[in-house]
Order: sequence, then structure tokens, then C-alpha cells
Amino acid sequence: MKSSHFFRNLQIIILSCMFFCFKTFANENIDERVKSLTLELRCMTCQNQSIYDSDAEFSNDIKKIVKQKLQKGESDRDIKKFLVERYGEYILFRPLVNYNNIFLWSFPFILLIFGVFFILIKIKRKKV
Amino acid sequence: MSSLVGFLSLVFAIGINFYLFLSRYIFKFQKHKFNLFVRFSSLLTLLSFFSLMYAYVVSDFSNYNVFQNSHSNKPLIYKISGTWGNHEGSMLLWLSILSIFSFFFSFTKNIEESFQRLTLIIQSLLHILFGLFIVFTSNPFLVNSILVNEGLGLNPILQDPGLAVHPPILYGGYVGYSIVFSIAIAGLFQDRDDEWLYVAKKWSLISWTFLTGGIALGSYWAYYELGWGGWWFWDPVENISLMPWIAGLALVHSLMMVRGEQAIKKWIVFLSILCFSLSVFGTFLVRSGILTSVHSFAADASRGIFILLIFFIVTGFGFLVFLLKEPKKSNTLNLLFINKVSAIVINNILMIIATLTILLGTIYPIIIEVLYNKRISVGGPYFNATVIPIMIPGFLLMSIAPILSWQTNKIQNSKKYVIGFFILSIMVLIQSYFLDFNTWGFIGILLGFWIIFASIIAIFSSYKVKFTIKFFQIVNPHIAHIGVGIAIIGITCSSVFQNELDFNINEGDKFNVNGKTVLFEKIETTNQINFQALRAKFLFDIEKNQSKKIEAGKNYYPVSKMITSEAGILHQWNKDIYFILGDQKNDEWFVKVLINPFVSFIWLGVIIMMYSGLIAVTRR
Repeated sequence: MKSSHFFRNLQIIILSCMFFCFKTFANENIDERVKSLTLELRCMTCQNQSIYDSDAEFSNDIKKIVKQKLQKGESDRDIKKFLVERYGEYILFRPLVNYNNIFLWSFPFILLIFGVFFILIKIKRKKV
Repeated sequence: MSSLVGFLSLVFAIGINFYLFLSRYIFKFQKHKFNLFVRFSSLLTLLSFFSLMYAYVVSDFSNYNVFQNSHSNKPLIYKISGTWGNHEGSMLLWLSILSIFSFFFSFTKNIEESFQRLTLIIQSLLHILFGLFIVFTSNPFLVNSILVNEGLGLNPILQDPGLAVHPPILYGGYVGYSIVFSIAIAGLFQDRDDEWLYVAKKWSLISWTFLTGGIALGSYWAYYELGWGGWWFWDPVENISLMPWIAGLALVHSLMMVRGEQAIKKWIVFLSILCFSLSVFGTFLVRSGILTSVHSFAADASRGIFILLIFFIVTGFGFLVFLLKEPKKSNTLNLLFINKVSAIVINNILMIIATLTILLGTIYPIIIEVLYNKRISVGGPYFNATVIPIMIPGFLLMSIAPILSWQTNKIQNSKKYVIGFFILSIMVLIQSYFLDFNTWGFIGILLGFWIIFASIIAIFSSYKVKFTIKFFQIVNPHIAHIGVGIAIIGITCSSVFQNELDFNINEGDKFNVNGKTVLFEKIETTNQINFQALRAKFLFDIEKNQSKKIEAGKNYYPVSKMITSEAGILHQWNKDIYFILGDQKNDEWFVKVLINPFVSFIWLGVIIMMYSGLIAVTRR
């Protein structure tokens, strides 16, 4: 059957692409780390803007703090923890994975599993 | 005077709709008369809307709403757009668009008379609900109790040509789903044949096209007006518009199945109700003031409760009818791995999961605040991590979906696709090693090119190329998908490969952007009609004779004491160069330059999608 070949090939290609994608992540410089971290933080004095995108005084201060802490060698997690203690979870655009948010994070994947099951059950396996 | 005319015609229109509704049970009409009354009430609603607009245009400050939201020295276009630049006016706009849809629906020819009448009666019910909402909680025709010569002005951030037309077009989408909703409910009551599905398809395509245009205008506005170089932020208000858009897309795709398979009517009706419910729910969230954004005008709790009530009535009524009167004919689907039906089913499931995820993410902070009295944010990183991976299999499927067969699982020319995909992935891989390698960038570019590539192969290998209208109708699904592919490339490049350069410079300095020399000519302040403008003037690429002028700066609006930033954008086909003027410190200006590759592809992709939406309307 032609079509099953097609999809097997497709799968192999996708998997091999995925494999290539996991190249090194290590050598990022400080500025890029500041960027990726501050993009996930809310500017508390603006309306729906990330700290990275905003030029408000608050954001500039946080950018400086983040940079200093990264230079000191603190990890992203430590910095986020520090900021949450100071400003509350509201500052994080990426909600923490904790007890309160477990439903938020698991919901899409539960739905996806249901969806996959639905398709698998409904699709006929007979050959045409 | 105009306020009085407006208010009376609004009340009269609601009265006629009551009459139309009762006509089903008590005062029976002939068909001809019934439609005349529908059109008359539509015209009255429009009269009411235009009399409010007239009050804005002549700056009639005896109207409280005009006094609150307008100012006599605004340019005419913003006096007109000021009509819907506030809560009351925008709700009247909502009602007017509802009336326009009813008006045009009353002219539909190829539909059973009693069915058309039932649909229009459901439209009347919606008109009554929203009409009463306007009259009791958001009346734009209140009289100003004090005598004034000047108004308080319109939020300067809304004073922009793109945003002036954004609400009517977006509402065309939101409210357009009201007619799809009414058709679906009528279809549940009177399920005689499949004819109504074709009618529903046309209207849902029209609404979807409007919604696409509205969302695109909104994000284009955010791109050049908010001045941070991005165009999508997963802001709650953006999410709200995206939910009916995705659900509507699922609906349009399900309605395609009417052509091949026997329809899965139940699902279509469910989606139709869902689309309109999401539209009303979005209105509730925005208007109740629960979410803070540019869109939440002066918030008032009673309005929120009223809209919540309407939402429950509409949704409750819709789903109740859905449960009680589900369609009788339910055929089993011909699902194979993989034919067109199963592809559409998979696509629908993925889209619904995406919609529900966005819904949960948008309301989750509210839930947490109610339960634990704690404020959290659910922003871009969450949606990027959940919605995008969910959609990827759908995008992959999309590239070949239009050529799948309805009945069997054979694919024509499957070898061509496999070889094509293989060559393409190697090419993208090679080029992405020359640029900074980025996983998402790689996936996005590969997907985008693959969709375009596979659609082109499909067009040329499955159909004879002719330049007739019929040909364009047949290849229309492929064209739509090419549009999506182009948009995916634009979205990926502009978000992943954006480059930022910061400068601290003075007038007369030269600096280097992307290998081109830019001259910072001067700073200039001018007085415009209703604002003061501060502009930094740049000359881009001064070595060439035709160097381009770019102006970036800020506007100060004295009436509302607000400052807005005005980005200077140089559009090129393959990148936008985006200048933002910062503050002056130690006699030096801070200038931020963003290089956004392939942003124009996003708008091009959207325009192609809208084009195919319109072409699809013409096809049965």
C-alpha cells in the first residue's frame, strides 16, 4: 500500500529532523540570557508588556538586576524566585508548575490524549 | 435633537423586534410583510447609530456620551470613529451590525420560507436582548446635565486610522456568527433537508473573513502604534478574538464535509453555537472590566452582570436546544487512515483543543484570584508552550489535506511529496546552519515552506492550469493553505530572528544598521491640531542617492495629558527596520532599532487567507 509507506517515510524524516534540532544550547552570552529571561517577566507598571519590551523605569531597573545576578552566576530559577518573593507570582508570564497551576498545565495534554484515543478508536483499520 | 431621534428609533426598533417575535405565536404575517418589518427595524437601528455619529461629527456636547469621549478639535475621521471608541457607542455598533446581517439575510433566496422566518425570529430575540442591554445599562443618548462648550477627548492611543476601522470589521466577524448561530438553532427545530448547511457555510465564511481582517488590523495597529516591535502578545483581548477565529475555522472545515460525506450535523451545530457563545463571552470579559486593556473603557459592574446574563441566556438556550433536539440522521463517518474525512476530524479536534487551552489560559488568572486571592499571569510563554505544539501536527496535515480522497486512503503521486519533503528539509537545514540555529525557527520555516511547496505540487499535478474563475474556485483550498504557509514563515522569522540594536546618539551622528549608514539628522517639534509631535529624523542609507527618510518620535496629547510613541518603520519586502525613539539622557538620545525579518509575509499571508475566504463564498 502506497500511502502507509508515505507516512512511514514522513515519520522517519520528522524524527531525524527533530534529532538534528537538539544541537547545543550551552554557549549563550549574558545579553541573550537577559533577553530570554526578561521576555518572560511582566512589567508591573505597564499594561501587558514584558520587561524586555518596555522602557519604563521599573523595567530598566529589573533588567539591571537580572544582568547583575546572571553575572554573579545565579541561575534563572534563582532569579525568578527572588523576583517572585519581591513582587509576587504576577510578574511571571510563564506560570509556575505548582499545586495551584497543575490543572492549567495538564489540561491541554489531557485533551490531547483524549483526542488521540478518540481518533484511534474511530479510524477503521480495513484496507480499501 | 439628534439624541432624541437616535433614542426613539432604537426603542422603536426593539419594539418591532418584539412584534416579530410574537408574530410566531399571535399576530401572524405574510412572508412579504414579515421581511419588510425585519428590514424596517434594521433601518431604524441604523438610523439610531447614524444619529449618534451625527452628534459626534457636529460635537453636540449636550449628549453626555459625546461630552465624555470627544473634543471639538479632533480631525473629522476621529470624530466619526469616536462613535465606537467608547463602550456605549461600540455596543450600538454591535447592534447595528446585527441588524445589517438580518437585513441581508432577509434577502436570501434559495432557502425555505419558514426556515428563513425562524432564523430571523431568533435574530430578533438577540436584537431584543442586546437592545435592552443598551437601553438600560449603556445608553449613548443620555443628556448632559450641565452646559459645556468642550468635551473631554478621545483616548489618544485610539486616534489612528487603522484603529478607526478595526472595531467595525472585527464586529462584522463577532456579530456575523450570530446569524450562523440562528441558522443552526433553526436547523435544529426544522431539520428537513441539508439546504441550510450550505447557507450556514456562506455566512460562516463571511464572518470568518471579517474576523480575520479585524484581528489582522488590530495586530498591525499594535505593531506600529504600541512601539515595541511586536505584533502579538497573547494579551487577553487578543486571545478572546482568537478563540472564535479558531472555532470558526473548525466550523468552515466541517462544513466542507457536507460536499463529500453525509454531514456530521451535530458537530456543525455545536461549533456554530460555540462560535457565537465565544464572541459574546469575549464581549463580557472585555466590557466587564475584569481584564484591563486598551479595550476596557470605564468599567461598570452592572454592565458586566447584564452581559453575563445575556451570555448565559444565549449559550444556555443554544446548548439546551442542541441537547433536546439533536439531529435525527446520524451516519457513521468513513474514517480511514488517512482520507479527507479523518484529516478534517483530526484538524477539528486539534483546533478545539487549542481553543479550549486558550480559553483556560485566559480565564485562569481570574479563577485563581477568586479561589486563592492571589494574582498570577498566564502569558505568552504558556501559550507558546501549549498551543503551538498542539497545532503542529495540524499544520503538517494541512499541506496534503486538500488532495486526500473522500472515500479511500490512497494519495496520488505520494512519491513526489516524499521526495519534495526530503529535499526541502535538507535545504532548510543547511540554510539554518548559516543563520543562528534555532529549533523553533527551523521547525517553523520547514513547515511553512512545506505547506507552500506541497500545495503547489498538488495544484500542478492534480488540475489542469487554466485561468478561469472555476479553476480558482477549485484550487481555492490550496491557495488558502499557501497563505497560511506564507504567514507561518513570516511569524517564525519575525519572532525568532528579530535583531535589536541600541544607540545613544546626538543630532548629526552617523551609525550603522545592517551594513547601511544612517544619519540622525535632527530633532523637531511641531504643533498639530490636537497634539504636539516630537520627531527624530533619520536618513537611511545615505551613501545612495535615494536615501530613505524615517521619522520616529512621540506625540503629546494635551487634552488627555498622554504621551504615545510613534515608531518609524522602513518597510522592505524581506524585512522591516523599526526605529523607536527613547528618552534624552546627558544630551544623548536613546534610539532602539529593531530588524524584523519577513514581517510583510504575515500580512501577505493574511490577505491571501481573506481572499480565499471570499472566493469560497462564491462556491457552492
